Amino acid sequence: MRFYSQSFLYDDPWSIVSYAFFMRYPNPLASHILSCDVISRIVNPSGTLSTTRLILKTGALPRWAPRGIVSRAESWVIEESEVDPTGRVVRCTTRNLDHVKVLHVEERIVFQGTDDGKTFQNTEAFFVSNFGWGLTKKIETHGLARFKANIQRSRQGFSMILDLIRQSRMRPMALGTSHSYTPSQYIPSSSDSRPSSEQSEVRTQESNAIGSWLSLKSWRRLP
Amino acid sequence: MAHSLSEACTPLKREYDACFNAWFEGYLEPAVSASSKPEERQKFAQAKAAEYERSCGKVWAQYRECVQKAVKEKGLDSLLEQARTENPLKDAPPPPSDLSS
Repeated sequence: MRFYSQSFLYDDPWSIVSYAFFMRYPNPLASHILSCDVISRIVNPSGTLSTTRLILKTGALPRWAPRGIVSRAESWVIEESEVDPTGRVVRCTTRNLDHVKVLHVEERIVFQGTDDGKTFQNTEAFFVSNFGWGLTKKIETHGLARFKANIQRSRQGFSMILDLIRQSRMRPMALGTSHSYTPSQYIPSSSDSRPSSEQSEVRTQESNAIGSWLSLKSWRRLP
Repeated sequence: MAHSLSEACTPLKREYDACFNAWFEGYLEPAVSASSKPEERQKFAQAKAAEYERSCGKVWAQYRECVQKAVKEKGLDSLLEQARTENPLKDAPPPPSDLSS
């Protein structure tokens, strides 16, 4: 098994980050998401909201993958979440449903509102292969590497959605506040990640995101 | 809003998502907090559940029926069932009541 963990602090309040999280698909940086459906949703007696979503993703296979390892490079993913608005917590677990013998990936995300009105995010991911044939470790390592490569991109896409929501709520300040979602803290805790370079990378990508705001806005309609 | 797994359900999905998002925005900013009395929180939960049912219940029922049919047609119902029994990481995240501490 391979493991990944990372924490992140958003300057935005929990309600906005959580709202953006559930609206994050589609965005221009998530073209690998083919479909996303709610298959069950209930408000629990305690007031929390439980949601199960079924998501179809595409992904390329590595070149060293044996021919026929999976029938197609698509994967069904199930996302189970629970929102507690009074405790200001979102817990979300995502895992693939098919190809699980080849590689099972499970991602657990928690958004917790802080007392000073910010939002703390913690992400954990597990990679387990039962493939055998001497490839188990290679497959798990590949899964982890792909995940790490994609996480910046998905965070950038998420930031675009977050920015749109902020702008739709504070119109007078619209373009002037584009940089305000720059994370005030960025705390990678993966054993072999490089904090300084990752941090600068995030900031560069997010400033690029501002430029594409207009095209994104026309591309996506908000209520 | 992303497509549905079945094109036939996409219009219903869009209608439902729009309804849910409008409700969800208010749900995320409750008038009660974790320190409120349990009965106040329960009252909030009941009020929000009723509001959801009132505004989105009808389109949700239609959308869910459409998706359930598509899930069966694609043979995904057995995949969903199988995934629940074969999950190598069985321990689910603790319920929210455990983490508010």
